[in-house]
Amino acid sequence: MDARVTSRSHVPLGLIPTPFQSRLEALSRAKAWVNWAGYVSPAVLDTVEFEYFAIRNQATLYDITPMHKYRITGPDAEAMLNRLVTRDLRKVRPGRVAYVLWCDEDGKLVDDGTLFRLGAQDFRLCCQEPMAGWLADAAWGFEVSVEDESHRVAGLALQGPTSFAALEAAGLGVGTLRPFDLAEVEPGLHISRTGFTGDLGYELWTGWGKAAALWDRLWAAGQGRGLRAIGFEAMNIARIEAGFIAARTDFQPSNTAMRLGRGRSPVELGLSRMVDFTKGHFNGRRALLSQDPQYHLVRLDVGGFKPADGALIYHRRKKEVGHVTSGVWSPTAKRNIALAELRAPFGARVTGDLWAEIYVNAEGRWDRRLVPVTIQSEPFFKNDRARATPPGLF
Amino acid sequence: MERFDALVIGAGHNGLAAAAALGARGKSVCVLEKSGVVGGMAAEGRLAHLVYNLSEGEKRRLGVNLAEVDTVSLSPDGAHAVVRRGAAGFADGRAYPDAAAYGALHARLVRFAGVLAHLAEAPPLGLDGGLASFASLREIARLGKVGLGLKRLGKVEMREFLRVILSNAYDTILDELPDGPLAGALASDAVRGAWAGPRSPGTVFSLIYRLGHGGAVYRPEGGMGALAEAYAAAARGKGCEIRLNAPVARVLVEEDRACGVELADGARIAAQAVLSSAGPLQTMLLAGVAHFDIEATRRARNMRAKGSAAKLNFALSGRPVFTGLSEAQHHARLLVAPSAAAVERAFNPAKYGELPKSPVLEMVLDGTRFSVIASHVPTEPQGGWTRAARDQLEKVVVQAIEAHAPGFAGLVTGCEVLTPADIADLTGAPGGHWHHAEMGLDQVLTLRPIAGNARYALAVQGLYLCGASAHPGGDVTGLPGRNSAAQLLADGVL
Repeated sequence: MDARVTSRSHVPLGLIPTPFQSRLEALSRAKAWVNWAGYVSPAVLDTVEFEYFAIRNQATLYDITPMHKYRITGPDAEAMLNRLVTRDLRKVRPGRVAYVLWCDEDGKLVDDGTLFRLGAQDFRLCCQEPMAGWLADAAWGFEVSVEDESHRVAGLALQGPTSFAALEAAGLGVGTLRPFDLAEVEPGLHISRTGFTGDLGYELWTGWGKAAALWDRLWAAGQGRGLRAIGFEAMNIARIEAGFIAARTDFQPSNTAMRLGRGRSPVELGLSRMVDFTKGHFNGRRALLSQDPQYHLVRLDVGGFKPADGALIYHRRKKEVGHVTSGVWSPTAKRNIALAELRAPFGARVTGDLWAEIYVNAEGRWDRRLVPVTIQSEPFFKNDRARATPPGLF
Repeated sequence: MERFDALVIGAGHNGLAAAAALGARGKSVCVLEKSGVVGGMAAEGRLAHLVYNLSEGEKRRLGVNLAEVDTVSLSPDGAHAVVRRGAAGFADGRAYPDAAAYGALHARLVRFAGVLAHLAEAPPLGLDGGLASFASLREIARLGKVGLGLKRLGKVEMREFLRVILSNAYDTILDELPDGPLAGALASDAVRGAWAGPRSPGTVFSLIYRLGHGGAVYRPEGGMGALAEAYAAAARGKGCEIRLNAPVARVLVEEDRACGVELADGARIAAQAVLSSAGPLQTMLLAGVAHFDIEATRRARNMRAKGSAAKLNFALSGRPVFTGLSEAQHHARLLVAPSAAAVERAFNPAKYGELPKSPVLEMVLDGTRFSVIASHVPTEPQGGWTRAARDQLEKVVVQAIEAHAPGFAGLVTGCEVLTPADIADLTGAPGGHWHHAEMGLDQVLTLRPIAGNARYALAVQGLYLCGASAHPGGDVTGLPGRNSAAQLLADGVL
């Protein structure tokens, strides 16, 4: 753990380096760093194009240590988490990972994340937003302990078609892992077949002190398999292609929004299949049962080739009905894609005659384009190699 | 399995009032009481020893004889004040110099109480159905009635109402009166049972709440036990069953509906509705916190309920003699509250977990039994309520009485000390608090006992609060129970 975190003598100043920072620093040509939850994190290391195509054609390492990690253990761990999240965790066996959503009492999303079931009474929740206070409240009345592991556990996302081959070469056998499986392949090293790219990929979790050695091991094994280190920007293109939502971008975590009505329910975010109303009570259940969706988050195929990030969406070119929350040119789909929030009934009952208003600055001159958009039901990127078990040794 | 329409947890006056109200509508009701007596805090020898907030309708329904008594506010210099409603005089019959000012202040506060009184008679306002619904129109009409009542006060009085309603009792009283036993009596009435001193904000509201029915003080004929029995008899009269020594271990919930209870001995009773006289957190724990939203349990945990009143039941070998009081005046409500400032100072030690040095006392003599409510005491003193702490409290109280009734200490043959912890144990009142939940401005009306649960329903269908923690609050009124039953029926649970 970083000394500035453990030291109680003063508040850490500046950004905290993750255990991979020395490796990333050496690889960075772009010197483009961003603040991710107080940690220094690369936006781009080389160029976003190289890094993006490495995700889709080779293998990539992305430092996900800044994710918040909480360890929930105890006899009531399952019951406590089952009240927290919208899915039925009784169906999630040890050695499995579940994508979970959790809501406030109004049924609005507090955050989403991945829940790793390490044992019958042992879970790790991994998410974007700080959640210690919320989990402490959620744990009250249950026989559980909640521990913030954010500064103790390092994480690496190894994503891309050759990621399995790279792990094999590193001597880490994960051939039997199916998507959302989890295994402790070596003492203190958990590998899950999860990721944020929609492609074949793994996430590796280990102690802070063992992290740098793990990087070096993977880096050596990845040579000849096209392994590259990447930053946020390339990862973000891949996640929009996969149709995954991001906190503070595609939805506002309801506990952080100060204005009324900014929260969105799982139904409004198109995630109703993640909500199990039959499992008994969970936070926000009664509110969700009583409300109709006011918004619909949809995937859009946008006309033209100019990224539509932030564009307003119109119905019949006149009536404003929503806006794009994430928009990007998809190099793999060769389409202009976006996630957009539309006011109901647009996006559900009314899906035709929708237009995006895109502003383009062409060397100092602003150009306004109204382009047609069509709603897509499937993700923009889908590949069978992501689901094959054992994965191909590309 | 046995089956009733509704089960009521706790045979306090509110639980019994709720049962009676449901019984009156033909519902089968069973009241489950953990102790061996009915009445809860109003049971004989428990916390309450007088009645002052009972509506005319409730008095009629109960059919119990109430004798109005004077209040004597003892003065260290022997010039005791005697009060009945707004009229003040000296104990020896001389006119009180501030009688007119006291009368005017009392009358004004009673008038203000009248504006708000009908809010207590029904569930707190709610616009759940949206502004356009019929139910909401009725609610808006109720709110309009408050506005109209305010308007009828006239411009000057309405201004005064709005000026003082959120303010503190100390300033409001001392604006009109010099500090002394009269001011002390009002100040102590504003904060008895509260975790507040007269200088705390919101104490004008709590004083007004007490004066909701004119401010008269009554002793039930036959003691508080008779009143408690009257509540039980009223419930039985409506066909309700009351089971004593039947502690509830669990509220059973199925498919998000309360469907019965499990008693401590393992027996189960089925019902379509369960009403709980306990506080919101205790009730959530009975049903299991997993059935409630995280925010709701957080609010319930943070509900303010720190008991500050202790009860001392003295057994005496003879009649105590208070200096300067006539024979008849000994049967009045006796107060040791020499000034508003003294009442405020009496709160200070409690804030730091210390026992009082000069407690404020409310005393009632009944033959050789002498009932004393001492405030403020800490909910849990430093070191806990040990034998020594109890003895110390008794000693301090005896000393305070001795100052006005020389020889009192020699008459004491026994003393039962009920601390807030004891009261919590005996009755289930959160924190042993007089009102189950502090009557602060953040915990009244639509925020009582906690935001989101003001209309008695506690999230799980068919689970309702019916105790003093619910609107309108504590005192022997039966209103939380009656309102809860009315809301339950209005919600279509039964």
